Amino acid sequence: MDGYTEIKLLLSHPMENGRNRDPVTGVLIPAHFIREWVIELNGKVIMAAELGGSMSTNPFFTVRLKNSLTGNRLTVRWIDNLGFSDSAEHFID
Amino acid sequence: MPRRRFLQFLFRAMAAAVTGVLCSKKVLAGWTAEHFAEGDFTTRFRQLFGDRAIADTDAIVLLLPEIAENGAVVPITISSELPDIQRLYIWVEKNPTPLAAKLEWDASLAVYLTARIKMAESCHVVVVAQQGERLLRAQRWVKVMQGGCGTG
Repeated sequence: MDGYTEIKLLLSHPMENGRNRDPVTGVLIPAHFIREWVIELNGKVIMAAELGGSMSTNPFFTVRLKNSLTGNRLTVRWIDNLGFSDSAEHFID
Repeated sequence: MPRRRFLQFLFRAMAAAVTGVLCSKKVLAGWTAEHFAEGDFTTRFRQLFGDRAIADTDAIVLLLPEIAENGAVVPITISSELPDIQRLYIWVEKNPTPLAAKLEWDASLAVYLTARIKMAESCHVVVVAQQGERLLRAQRWVKVMQGGCGTG
């Protein structure tokens, strides 16, 4: 398929599901995972995702924009179950 | 203003301010707790889709390893040439929280996604796609060599 733009995203996050124990202390590690994740193209949401604790640590995603859109602005945002959030912006070249 | 009334007023104003802060939690996609709750696959699946008919399809292509060495990181690729797919659900049948992800997108994106999921043990990975009002399903069996801790 030609003419698409591939977007690769690596979100650094422990993605703890709340069922793992600390290997040293044996204490249950509290759930801590990204719950909401969106991609915006020029400020408009083009993808919105809800995630659970079954996604791997440091989620790595690939999606494809149908067209090559030079100069357009991509924004990625996430929020986790503890209210932490992050975002990143990129202009397609 | 009598002192007591003033204190009451002050207290209410503070309570309102605190509530405002607590409730102003940002929302991006929204998150439906009951869909992602623990429970067995059949129950959760039925809770989400009810009695709606779901058609099995080959038009949604699922790429997963036949044997996954490490259940903590299982790569999955979903792709399809079908038009008007607005939503995808990724389920891992034997995980304590069977729904891994729910994704929604508009027509500017192709139906193509790679991700990495956790698998507690060998089971089916089930992907349900919503095309208009129709629900389509593709699934694949994955043998997991090492699951358990750090997964599911």
